Formats: sequence, structure tokens, C-alpha cells
Amino acid sequence: MIAYVIRRLLHTVLVVFAISLLIFFSIRLTGDPVTVMFSAGEPTKEAIEEVRRNLGLDQPLYVQYLIFLKGLVTFDFGESFRSHMPVMDLIMERAGATLALAIGGTIVSILIAFPVGIISAVKRGSIVDFFGRIFSLIGISFPNFWLGIMLILIFAVNLKWLPSSGFEGPQHLILPSITLGMILSGILARLVRSSMLEVMNQQYVSTAKSKGISDWAVIIKHAFRNALLPTITFLGLQFGSLLGGTVIVETIFSWPGIGRLIIDAINQRDYPVIQGGVIFLAVIMVVVNLIVDLSYSLIDPRIKTGGSGRA
Amino acid sequence: MVQKVLEIDKLKVGINDDGNKIAIVNGISFSLQKGETLGIVGESGCGKSMTSLSLMGLLPPGVEWLDGDIKTESLHFKDFKKKDWRKIRGKRIAMIFQEPMSSLNPVYTIGKQIMEMILSHENISKKQARERALEMLKLVGIPRPEQVLDEYPYQLSGGMRQRVMIAIALSCNPEILIADEPTTALDVTIQAQILELMKKLQEQLNMSIVLITHDLGVVAEMCDRVIVMYAGEIVEEAQVVELFDRPRHPYTKGLLSSLPDVNEEKEYLSSIPGVVPAPGKMPAGCRFAARCSFAHERCKNTPPLFEVNGSKVKCWLYENGDSEAVL
Ligand SMILES: Nc1ncnc2c1ncn2[C@@H]1O[C@H](COP(=O)(O)OP(=O)(O)OP(=O)(O)O)[C@@H](O)[C@H]1O
Ligand SMILES: [Mg+2]
Repeated sequence: MIAYVIRRLLHTVLVVFAISLLIFFSIRLTGDPVTVMFSAGEPTKEAIEEVRRNLGLDQPLYVQYLIFLKGLVTFDFGESFRSHMPVMDLIMERAGATLALAIGGTIVSILIAFPVGIISAVKRGSIVDFFGRIFSLIGISFPNFWLGIMLILIFAVNLKWLPSSGFEGPQHLILPSITLGMILSGILARLVRSSMLEVMNQQYVSTAKSKGISDWAVIIKHAFRNALLPTITFLGLQFGSLLGGTVIVETIFSWPGIGRLIIDAINQRDYPVIQGGVIFLAVIMVVVNLIVDLSYSLIDPRIKTGGSGRA
Repeated sequence: MVQKVLEIDKLKVGINDDGNKIAIVNGISFSLQKGETLGIVGESGCGKSMTSLSLMGLLPPGVEWLDGDIKTESLHFKDFKKKDWRKIRGKRIAMIFQEPMSSLNPVYTIGKQIMEMILSHENISKKQARERALEMLKLVGIPRPEQVLDEYPYQLSGGMRQRVMIAIALSCNPEILIADEPTTALDVTIQAQILELMKKLQEQLNMSIVLITHDLGVVAEMCDRVIVMYAGEIVEEAQVVELFDRPRHPYTKGLLSSLPDVNEEKEYLSSIPGVVPAPGKMPAGCRFAARCSFAHERCKNTPPLFEVNGSKVKCWLYENGDSEAVL
């Protein structure tokens, strides 16, 4: 178990290293940050050089990268080119909002997908199943910026029931969470349906039925409980694209999260903030996957992390 | 004095494809006596499992109860609603399956799975149910039952799991135990132990067993009476000694003559030429005729189940009892 966790942590370090390389060099292809920093007038050459020196951009690229790496090790992403605040502080200020959104999106997708998937599977081939599958298809194929805008138009602009931007209270979470959770719920409902169908053919479901317990006890306690494992794996794997989705959703809903922080930073070529934000999201993703893996052993007693004990 | 616990009356089970009914089990009748073990044998696909699942109301999706009835002294299963089935399942008729490796739910402890059965039928506390579960584990001969109560299925061997299945099945004292190939998936020595256990518990609890098997050795060992099924119909019914001493239906003879060794049941059917016709593609008349070396003109008509010296045979050879048919 401990060896396993250590192995996974080493793996995490490798992943973060790879991402740091990728992000560091790719943003430097987007153009010179200094040229966008002067809002008014044509800056003098000296002024530009001065700024470069201050930001450390006059150094050779590999030196800049090594400095960046050195900071990474101490969880120091440097300072924003713009506000000169430590990047870590900027991120921490916004992490809560993104986390709330990600959790909200996951909850929405679960609330929709579990019932839809379970009922579709149980009533396989029925009209309920048909609508369930149509729903999945719609959920999967509609782009979430479109859904977000529609939700804003209907519930914020026309009905005026819910706020359309910012994060000042729980009611602000509703529309962004639905927007974020919808796509995931389409895929998730499909997955729940197919794992349920598979599990319901298992002999132990027949055993459960032969005990004379209620249909719902058979479906939830025996079938669904076993269908949960692939579902959780999937949710864990999807957490990355969910975080990716927050970037778009945060932009639509003016959500004060990390996604928007990164988008704004990209517009301003604020390298340290982009690097810090992306790496932060990557680390969160890897950690979530690790937690998901470790949680298997809670759901399925056969899995003792470390490999042994599988019958 | 024999007492019938269950009577199956012209039971017909099959696929109902928009009113186009295809029978899988084609109007079979038999009864089950108190305390007896009734064997059902026959080639793969002849409808043994469908027959046994209908007794529990557990036909798979797509397969329906088309006609006929299953009766006890006071109940007609054909009128059953969902709720009535639930009262029967586990309480009066319990079932064990072929695959002990997969018939227990991997995510619950053994104790929990036994207790679930008890708690769903009996109005007792969890603590009492747990004690009863422990008793059941002792009854089926599980070593260190206290620990096993809190263990998961993957921690047990196939034989132990089948014991647990038996413990679950018997935990509410059913009158009838249906065992669909309970030992097929187990090693020979374990098979013998499980059969031994079933026999012992049957005597102890005075229940009736319906034992479905491919293995004629198991039939000889366990059963009082045997039903031979072919293509969804009963072709012969006899006391076990009679069946082995004097098989009547050509199909039964084929089964027995090709029985190589008690411990090698698998290939016994290969020596009967031909294949079982599929449901929906049944020939008119006797369904076995195409594979039968005694087939003749009469076999174009469906034979009834003739009563011959206490046995029943679905074959024209026995129209006038055994006299003509000494072959
Ligand atoms: N879900 C189903 N839908 C339609 N037909 C089915 C279904 N399950 C089984 N059948 C058909 O019913 C027939 C009888 O099957 P059954 O399982 O009762 O055979 P069996 O005698 O138990 O065979 P085996 O010895 O292989 O277990 C087979 O021809 C099979 O193709
Ligand atoms: Mg079968």
C-alpha cells in the first residue's frame, strides 16, 4: 500500500515535470510579453530592455527554465508580471471558486446520470430507456458554452430567477454547475447504463432475486453497488476534462476561478501566472486520480491496493 | 403416505414475439413429493433451467410464462403478483446455482448475505439474524464460521462458497430446494462433499429437492425419481432404480449406454447422432424421431406420455405397455 502510494507520487512528479516543460516553452511561442505591457504610446528601446531585465526575460531560455523549475520545487511560481503579487497567492485566492464549481458540476452530473442510467438499464428497450439515451446523446453533443448561454438567457435574463455572473452565494453556483455537469452527465449516464446491464447479468443478481427481496433492493444494493466501480474510475479520469471545462464555464459566467485567471493571464502574456495556474490544475488532477484509485479498496473488498488478494 | 408439495401442470414457457409464441418448455407436467429428490436430466438447451426458474418466477427477460400452472395445496402460481412471488422465493422455494464463484455478491460479507435472506422473510432483529447466520454456517460445515461471517466471497474457495449458498438457501427453512447443476463447476472430491451435505440436510430438514444435472452418476447417487427432458418435453419419468435398470425411451437408452464412467460425465451425449432441434423449429410428431434408430411411421404423430408399470414414457413403442417393446 505504502509502496504503491510512493510509486504513484513519483509518477506524479514525472508528470508535473513534463507539463512544466511543455507549458514553459509553448507559451513562449505566443509572442513577447513585454510588447503588450505598454498600454499607451511607443515605448523606447531602453524602456523595453529595462522591463526585460526586471522580469528576468533577458536571460537565456534554459536559465529561465531552471529558475522556474527551482521555484516549482519550493512551490513558488514567482510573481505576476502584472500585479507583482506572488502567483501562489493569486491561485489560492481563486482555488476555492474553481473547486466549488468542479464539485458542483460533478454533483449535477451524478444527480442526473445515476437515475437516468439506472432506469434506462432496468427498463431496457422501453420508452424510458429511449428518452434516457436521447438525453445522453444531447448531453454529449451540445457544447457547454452554448448551454451556458442558453441557461443565462432563460434563467437569468428572461425569468430573472438566478444570477448570471460572479460568485457571491450558493445561488450563483447553480447555472455554472449545470453547464459544467451536463456534458459529463451525458457520458456518465451511458456508462452507468452499460455497467448496470453488464452487472445485471451476473449470477449474484439472480441469487439476490431468489431471496425474495424487493426489486429495488436487487437493483440498488446488488447491481448498482457493483456497477459503481467503473463509474468511479470514470469520474476520476474525467476530472481532468471537468477542470478543462471550468475554463470555458468560468469565462461565460465571469466566475472568479483559476480558469479565468489563466485566460486573463494568457491575454496579458503573464507567463508566471499561466505556468503556475496550469501546473496547479495538473497537480490537482493527478492527486484526484490517486485518491480515486485508493478509494477502490473501500468499494470493492477484493482490491487490496498493492496487487495481492485478488481471487 | 406421500404428500405432494408442488404440482406442475402443463407448464408452457417460451418466447412471445408479438403473439407468435415459441415454446421452450412445452407443456410439461410433474409433481414433487415431500422429502424426495427429483432429478431432471437432459441435453443442454432442453429447458431444464427454464423449468426450474419458472418455479421461482425468475424467467429471464424475453422469456414468458405462456400457459399452464404451478400449484401447491393452496396456491396457484399462475395468478401470482410480484408480491406473492417474493413471499415464495427463499421462504418456500430456494435455489442454488451452478457457479458458486459468481453467485455470491463480491462486495458484501458472507454474514450480510445470509442475514439479508433471513431479514427479508422473518421479523427478527439483526442480532438474532446474525446468530442464525452463524448457525447456518455451522450447519453446512464451514470451518471457523465466526470469522467467515465477516469475510468476503473472494476469500473462500469454490466449494466453501457453494456451502455458503446452501446456507443462504436453507436459512429460512424452505420446503423445496432447487439446485441447478450445483456441483458441475467443482472438483470431483468437492462435488462429493457438497452432494453428501445436501443429502444430509435434506434428511435433517425433510425438504424436497429438485436436482438438475448433466451427470447421471449424480442422479444415481442422489435422486429418488428422475425426469428425462428432451427438447422442452418430458420423454420419460421413472423411479431412479427403474430408470437405470430398465430405461425405456430410446433417448434415455442413448444417454445411459453412452455413459462412460461415473466421473466423466461431460461427453456422454456425443454418441447419440444428430442435434436437438431449436425452439421454434420443432418437427411435427415425436421430437426425437430424427435421431432415433427405432423411428417409424407412427412417430409422425406426437406420442402421449404412456404409463408403463409405474413409469411414464413418451414413445409409441410403449403404446401397449412393455410387451411389444422388448428390444
Ligand atoms: N433469455 C432467453 N431468451 C430466449 N431464449 C432463451 C433464453 N435463455 C435460454 N433460452 C433458450 O431456452 C432453451 C432452454 O434453455 P435452458 O437454459 O432451460 O436449457 P438447459 O436445459 O438448462 O441447458 P443447460 O444444460 O445448458 O443448462 C435454449 O434453447 C435456449 O436457447
Ligand atoms: Mg441450465
